[in-house]
Amino acid sequence: MNQFIQSLVDAISAGAVLGLAALAIGLVFGVIRLANFATGEIITAAAYSLILTWHLGWYVSIPISILVAVGISLLMELAVFSRMRKAGPATLLIASFGLSFLLQRVYELIFGNNVRTAPVASELAQSVEVGGIRIQMLSVTTIVLTAVLLIALQLFLTKTSLGLQLKAAAADFRTARLVGIPAGRVIGLSFALSGILAAAVAFVLTVQSGAVGPDFGVRITILALVGAVIGGIDKISGSLAGGFVVGFATSMLAAWLPEGMTNFKDAFVFVLVIAVLLFKPSGLLIKGRGVVRT
Amino acid sequence: MSTADTRQGLHVKDLEVAYNGVPAVRGVSFEVNAGEAVGLIGPNGAGKSSTLLAIMGATPRSGLVTVHGVDIAGLAPEKVVRTGLALVPEGRHVFTELSVADNLRLGAVARRDKSTFKEALEYVLDLFPILRDFGHRQAGLLSGGQQQQLAIGRALMSDPDILMLDEPSLGLSPTAVDSVFEALDVVRKAGKAVLIVEQRAEFTIAFSNRTYVLHDGVITLSLKPEDAENVDVLTEAYFG
Amino acid sequence: MSNTTSAKATTQSLRWRLGPLWSLVSLLLIVVAATMVTTMFGKSLQVQAQYALVNLVIVVALQLFIGTSGVLSFGHVAFVAMGAWTVGLLTIDPTLKKNLLPDLFPFLMDAQAQWVLAVLIGGLVGGLLALIVAPVLMRLNGLQAGIATFALLGVVNVVLTYWSSIGPRSGQSMVGIPEVLDLKLTMLFALGSIIVAWLFQRTRPSRLLRAAREDGIAAAASGINIVTQRVIVFTVSGVIAGVAGGLFALTNRVVQASQLFVEMTFITLAMLVLGGTLSLSGAVIGTLVFSAIDVMLSNLQSGIDIFGLSLSIPQGTRPIILGLILVLMLMFKATGLTGGREFVWPFRTVRPLPGNPPTNE
Repeated sequence: MNQFIQSLVDAISAGAVLGLAALAIGLVFGVIRLANFATGEIITAAAYSLILTWHLGWYVSIPISILVAVGISLLMELAVFSRMRKAGPATLLIASFGLSFLLQRVYELIFGNNVRTAPVASELAQSVEVGGIRIQMLSVTTIVLTAVLLIALQLFLTKTSLGLQLKAAAADFRTARLVGIPAGRVIGLSFALSGILAAAVAFVLTVQSGAVGPDFGVRITILALVGAVIGGIDKISGSLAGGFVVGFATSMLAAWLPEGMTNFKDAFVFVLVIAVLLFKPSGLLIKGRGVVRT
Repeated sequence: MSTADTRQGLHVKDLEVAYNGVPAVRGVSFEVNAGEAVGLIGPNGAGKSSTLLAIMGATPRSGLVTVHGVDIAGLAPEKVVRTGLALVPEGRHVFTELSVADNLRLGAVARRDKSTFKEALEYVLDLFPILRDFGHRQAGLLSGGQQQQLAIGRALMSDPDILMLDEPSLGLSPTAVDSVFEALDVVRKAGKAVLIVEQRAEFTIAFSNRTYVLHDGVITLSLKPEDAENVDVLTEAYFG
Repeated sequence: MSNTTSAKATTQSLRWRLGPLWSLVSLLLIVVAATMVTTMFGKSLQVQAQYALVNLVIVVALQLFIGTSGVLSFGHVAFVAMGAWTVGLLTIDPTLKKNLLPDLFPFLMDAQAQWVLAVLIGGLVGGLLALIVAPVLMRLNGLQAGIATFALLGVVNVVLTYWSSIGPRSGQSMVGIPEVLDLKLTMLFALGSIIVAWLFQRTRPSRLLRAAREDGIAAAASGINIVTQRVIVFTVSGVIAGVAGGLFALTNRVVQASQLFVEMTFITLAMLVLGGTLSLSGAVIGTLVFSAIDVMLSNLQSGIDIFGLSLSIPQGTRPIILGLILVLMLMFKATGLTGGREFVWPFRTVRPLPGNPPTNE
């Protein structure tokens, strides 16, 4: 039973991280129909930033990593995606794929192929015992961090004018422009928020592994993208839910699959993904089969 | 004839719109001045919606469009709104997941004078009292007629001098249509210029100061309110 | 007067009928010419050329499906992997097999085949996997199709990496694939795949899908079952991809699951996008141009001499430049170098196959 609770907490934490990553992808997709595979490289950049500046103190390192993430995210929009407004979602996805590949090689060039390490927030990497259950400090921190970010995001989206503009643009971009909502500003905002979420994801992953290499963000981005699509990438809440489900499932499978099968956990998740897409192509959160807007 | 610098209102000259090489609007010219309502009617596919969208800068076009004498060529839609032009799109397109109040707030994003927000809101709520009752309700839950009122209210929140509407009577009950046009009359009398694109000929011809018939991308006829009673004129307008 | 009009009509009709054929011939000539050129240079260039020809077969398979159906597939490397695996299992020397792949199923341990046969079987295995998954995957469109096909790739990758009953233990590779495939033979396979693809373009499923791609509603209204057509095209492209996998195994002589995953998917997709997704010419031109640039860059990285000037680019910039080319291409001309039209050299481009490239995917 204790083991179950332990694995449950870990799974919720894994779901939370993946939910954040999927949300980072979903926020941008909602506005300009771009499923940004290069989000992984934003995460990687933030991770490098954390690892390389941690010795300056967390109150310096963390803000810098957020700035780096937001900066790279906006740079992607300015340099590449802003010039591709007429492209369809498939083209945009391939372009982001190319950008991801490109940036990974750039990181290789700058930082070398070997991993860089640093004991980022190593205090969090311990576990505590609560009533006979071993709980990872990092898992709890992740859940709390995610909850805080989500609440902040929700407040921003519902209570501020900018947030409302973003919501409207994500729901109906064309009408939003016709009503006078500035497209460029809203798109930039979505990229910036995406960067902030990516920085949070980078923090959690860096504490977990203590090391970063050029392909640091690739695996989580694959799962996050997959999660966002099965959750219903059309809606912001859909991306979050889908990401959570994939993260939760992967973690639970890792904990509970029989000995010889644990290596295959990713395969199970992928099969689950195909199954969901078959029965609910618009996403888990959309009622019925929905209208596939891509 | 007034010179370009002092012209007020919306002036459209030789507007042309084509999609993928297929022409939809082929040289349309008209003007809408303060305190008047102009109708634009015609059968489906005549190019009515294309005209409005092109004026708003949402589709590429050629020709001259000026607002208060200023050429708005090349401006993106959100910038066009800031020159004093507003569009109530076909099918209303209210932001269904947001509340009525939020929809109205969003309309005010493009206001040139933000300090008069409260007055503008009061004006809209007086015009459409039902919106006052539904302030916190999700816009998607409103009836078609109520959504139409909300869409017009939202457009009015940007403080336009020229209000354009794309098929405001679409899917509305006769009573709803009546209240919408009553409100438009108030707006017209308050000094705004109103451009109404409609499929329902009689109503529009009777309401507007003048009505143009758009057929296959060109204006074929200009009608006065008296012509609304004239069956021959109407038939020619639609089938000529 | 009637003589000249009928003469003109005959030339036009002749051009219309022979045009596509000439398009095929010119593509074949280009491939042969490019291959022959490399034989004039050193062995290392010929090796790179051989890899390029293997990629060509993959890209042709990709184009066959994506260009016809308009549906994105991120999963074709799964079929390549199946083909590579098959050839590896069938051609590695039996004693070597026992040592390297000790946990294999008995029937796999004993299976052996001559390499040409192995390649063809590899193609069939690839096609079989495609056929099995197609009824499920072909119902999807757009982004969902991309994700689902990628999930397929993911499943295959995980299974091939860890299931030691069908391959090496995790972390290890299949080595010892015999050296039997040379540049000229690879070229023959490449030419064959181009011919097969060209022939297939003329079959009914291909035409139907291309029509449906242009106007889905009209197609559905006329009673075409799009899913069935897609299944057929997907399967055929799976076969070709499987063959490519076999060729890869024989060229690389080492097979590991990690080589057949995201990076290969990206490179082949990049080649197709560069050339133009909508035409077979695009597949060929894209692969050749991309490979040529790749070779040039790798030489520049080691430093070359031109007219006494020593030129070189820093290490590690080669993949960056290649990535840049892809991204720039997508930004400015998403229809690729050929713009989706079939290529006829040395004359002008022939009119495109039915269905013009859509302006928005």
